[in-house]
Amino acid sequence: MAGDEQATTSRILILATDACAYPGADNVGQIHSEYPANTYIMRVPAPAMFPEEFYLRCFEKGIDGIIVMSCGHECPYEGAYNRLAVRIGEVHKQMKERGLNTNRLRLCAICTVCAKAFLKEVRQMGELLAGQASASS
Amino acid sequence: MSQTDTQSSAQQQSPESEQPRIGVYVCHCGGNISDVVDVEEVVRAVAGLPGVVVARRDMSMCSDPGQQLIVDDIRNSKLNRVVVGACSPSLHELTFRGALSRAGLNPYLYEHVNLREQVSWCSKSDPRGATEKAIRLVGVAVAKARLLHSLDPIRVDAKQHVLVIGGGISGLRAARDLARCGLAVTLLERSPFLGGRIAQLSHVYPSRDDARGLLRRILDEVMADPNITVRTGAEVVSSSGYVGNFQLQVRLHPRGVNGDLTSEQLQAVIEACPEAVQSEFDHGLVKRKAIYRPYPDSSPSAAAIDWTTCTRCGKCAEVVDGESITLDAEPEEITLDAGAVVMATGFDLYQPRSGEYGHGEFSNVITLPQLVRLMDETGPTGGQLQWNDRPIKNVCLIHCVGSRQMPGIHEPGPDGRLNEYCSRVCCTATLQTALEIRERFPEINVFEFYQDIRTYGRGHEEIYEDACRRGVTFLRYRAEEPPTVSGAEGEAAPSLAVRVKDTLTFGEELEIPADLVVLSVGMVPRDIAGLVETLKLPCSADGFLQEVHPKLRPVESAVEGVFLAGTCQAPMDMTEGCAAASATAAKAAALLGRGHLELDPFVARVDLDRCQGEGKCVDECEHRRAITMVETEVDGERVTRAEVNPALCNGCGMCAAVCPHRAIQVEGWRLDQYDSMIDALVADYPALEHANV
Repeated sequence: MAGDEQATTSRILILATDACAYPGADNVGQIHSEYPANTYIMRVPAPAMFPEEFYLRCFEKGIDGIIVMSCGHECPYEGAYNRLAVRIGEVHKQMKERGLNTNRLRLCAICTVCAKAFLKEVRQMGELLAGQASASS
Repeated sequence: MSQTDTQSSAQQQSPESEQPRIGVYVCHCGGNISDVVDVEEVVRAVAGLPGVVVARRDMSMCSDPGQQLIVDDIRNSKLNRVVVGACSPSLHELTFRGALSRAGLNPYLYEHVNLREQVSWCSKSDPRGATEKAIRLVGVAVAKARLLHSLDPIRVDAKQHVLVIGGGISGLRAARDLARCGLAVTLLERSPFLGGRIAQLSHVYPSRDDARGLLRRILDEVMADPNITVRTGAEVVSSSGYVGNFQLQVRLHPRGVNGDLTSEQLQAVIEACPEAVQSEFDHGLVKRKAIYRPYPDSSPSAAAIDWTTCTRCGKCAEVVDGESITLDAEPEEITLDAGAVVMATGFDLYQPRSGEYGHGEFSNVITLPQLVRLMDETGPTGGQLQWNDRPIKNVCLIHCVGSRQMPGIHEPGPDGRLNEYCSRVCCTATLQTALEIRERFPEINVFEFYQDIRTYGRGHEEIYEDACRRGVTFLRYRAEEPPTVSGAEGEAAPSLAVRVKDTLTFGEELEIPADLVVLSVGMVPRDIAGLVETLKLPCSADGFLQEVHPKLRPVESAVEGVFLAGTCQAPMDMTEGCAAASATAAKAAALLGRGHLELDPFVARVDLDRCQGEGKCVDECEHRRAITMVETEVDGERVTRAEVNPALCNGCGMCAAVCPHRAIQVEGWRLDQYDSMIDALVADYPALEHANV
């Protein structure tokens, strides 16, 4: 059961775009769908503003998983999504070098009404962290 | 209401130069939050955080007394930062910023925590987890609040000129209302004629007003208004700028004909033209020439040349000896400045697939707009209801064609999309047409095949009742079992039969012979991909332009300063389209009325103490001219440093990510604030350990 416990005691950071994913997360609440309470949503205009070291610092500080919920190609900021995707790829490389599981950082696109996709992303990250904890216990 | 005062020596009011004095307020939201989250525990847990001076809870922070609580604390406890945990910031962030302003505090010294949509409503079965989450999120907000500083809105001059794109009824209404507010208006219509689809109707429900009479009245007002400039044949090709200061590049296509032709000359040049295409005004029932005028009372009254059809053979010009007709004119491009833009680009009609209810197979399967033109006295038959010179005995009207489509039952369109929405206007339009047939041609039997009758507007249900009284026969089908249309093979316009399993007669299978089958087609989004791309306008899942919020910010697009009038936003009738258009005019006038605008200050700012002039931010920025390198003096030396044009910066923060010195940051969303928020998220909260939540 160590895995289950880890799934709820681990901390998942969600970086949600102000234009799409944040209202999308609101939508999940509005339809009263539940997801684990160990998920912490931070609003951001465009996650393309974070440099690589921001993510690495989060892991160092004790964040277990990060889901970057972007607007995808619907991003209101020209070029931001492509830049973000490249940067996340770069962070993945650096995570590998440090022996971190790259699945702990996920990039996805969530629209304002993407409740199912939101829940799926949260569930998958929770399962990953639970599996990781089981493997190490 | 409870209060936990952790510090009482309050003497300062001013912000960042002094120690943070933070007020934290946690809302019960009438139980929406407190039924799940232990609000009292949250208040206790955050009261001891560094900088927190006041921590309170209240049943309804957004109420007047709730807001007044904040105002009083700012004044009495000398607060210089405020955090409120309540519902989503989309609903009340501005409300609480307003409370700070009223108390004399800069409104950007405020941080909002979403405890309802993103905590209590999504964690109902886990109150302990929800309470911990709430404590940590409020802690995160307090950490950010400690690093907030005052910001001033960006003030820019606003052009007192509005561009209205689309010259149908919504565009005309918006232009007229804007002009009445004293704003200069340019009305851009892509086709050579104003009026849009209303000109194709003889009358409109529910009052049966003369449609072209209504159109004529508003056209006369628009044309006579000195504040309005009308440009037909005008196509927007690109745009730049921002709210208050848009620049649109517009291509003006030549008309080819000036207004000096007499009606006899006009008739002669039209007859001389050898090129013909299907008339869009009559929905393809007849053809028109390359030089044309859709109807005699069109506006402008001068004919125009359709350049995609015209071969420039010159036969029209020969009739009038070259006068009044110019075949060699080229399009001209102009730039128009505007403070705001109103989109009134209208809709397209659903085009039935070949074979859908026999459409395209049998010529006597037509659409409702075609039937309306047939019954119009200005239409191809002069208002006589006949088909191929044959009398009509039975007309069958089928509702919901191209609307309320369902996965697995209907085929997606060429764009892969199903029209799952209801087009709203077709039910009443179909009923009105059925009623009119029965009134004008009582010898004709009318049958309506419907899923639901959605006569939602005032006076619409009466049309349904009148249709029933006048003998229209209704048959109801289920979406899963739509009617089928069959006819004799090989005949272009055979006698048709419509079969249906009628739920009004408990599933009886009926077959109705038909001389004319009419498909009540819905509205689909118009293809305005170029405008959507250049103006960066969001579209909803159904493809129509999307407003920010139907109740909180109706008719506003997500692009500030661009408003949505009429059916470009969703299916609606003329009444609703005009109401939306008037709303856009009111909003645009309110936006531009002061002559200047205050924009949110969440844009990049350069810290000259850190900037080394490397210019990576300039290379990274996608927004034209938002960041430039400029010469400046630092410690007596001439150096190059980055400079941000706040009016052009959109606050995406891509520049912040690449600066190795963190010298450029987006105000309100600084990286040092995020670092601090992460620290607060993973911090130990003694109250959590104590309470074992």
